Amino acid sequence: MAGGRIEQRLRLRAEPPLSEAAVLVRGGPDTQDKLARHARRTARAWSLDGQPLLGISVFAVLDIPLDELLSARFATYRMIHMPAAAWLRDRGFELLPTGLRPHYTVRLRRADSIELDELLAALGPPVANVQYARSTIWREEGRDVPRRHHRRSQ
Amino acid sequence: MYRVDITADLNDEDETGYLWTFLDEARDPGQITPGALVVAGDEDTAAVCQVVDLAPAGDGTIVHLRLLPGLVDDYRQLVERALAS
Repeated sequence: MAGGRIEQRLRLRAEPPLSEAAVLVRGGPDTQDKLARHARRTARAWSLDGQPLLGISVFAVLDIPLDELLSARFATYRMIHMPAAAWLRDRGFELLPTGLRPHYTVRLRRADSIELDELLAALGPPVANVQYARSTIWREEGRDVPRRHHRRSQ
Repeated sequence: MYRVDITADLNDEDETGYLWTFLDEARDPGQITPGALVVAGDEDTAAVCQVVDLAPAGDGTIVHLRLLPGLVDDYRQLVERALAS
C-alpha cells in the first residue's frame, strides 16, 4: 500500500521560534552516511509545500528538564549531540516544529556531502549521555498522545 | 553491534508521538504486525519496541513503534531469569 507523502506544512505546530539559546538533543553519534540515510527516509515519507522534505529529528529541551528528557527518550543512546538552536540556524538550517512538542525537524536543502558536513559540524561533537541505561517511560497513549492520533491497526 | 528486526532512526517521531520507519526496512516484514515486539534501530543503537500500527505513506508503508523502556540487554537478562531452571 502507498499513500503519498504526508504534507507537513499544515501540521507544523503554531509555536514561536525556538530561542537561539535553546538546547537540542539528538541521539548519536552521527556520521555523514547516517544523516544522509535518515534525511532520505524523512523525504520518502514527508513533504513540505509539495516537495520531499529532507530532514532529521531533534528534540528541544522544553517543558521538562534535560535529565528527564534524556532518561525518557534517549536512554538507549550512549552518546548524544547537544547543539544550541543557534548553531544550526547560523549554518542555514531551518528548525521545523513537526510532530508533538518538543520534536523538531532540521531541514536540509540538498543533503549532498557539503551540506551533510555542515550539519555534522552544526550538531557538534557527540558527548556521553549521563542518562544512558536509566530509562523511564516516554509518551503514553491517553496521557501524552491525544487519542485521535492513533490509527486503527491495519 | 546489534542485528535489528527493523532499521530505524530512534530519534524519529511524528504527530502520533511514536517512533516511525518504513516496513520495507524490516529484515522480515512478516514479523512486523501490530502488537509484535521487535528490536529497532541500527547496528550501533537499538531498542525494544512494540509495533503499534502500519499506515500507507510515501511510496510504502510506515510502521509506528512504541519505544519500550530499558536496554536490549535488560530484556536478554529478563528472559534468562525467566527461563533459568
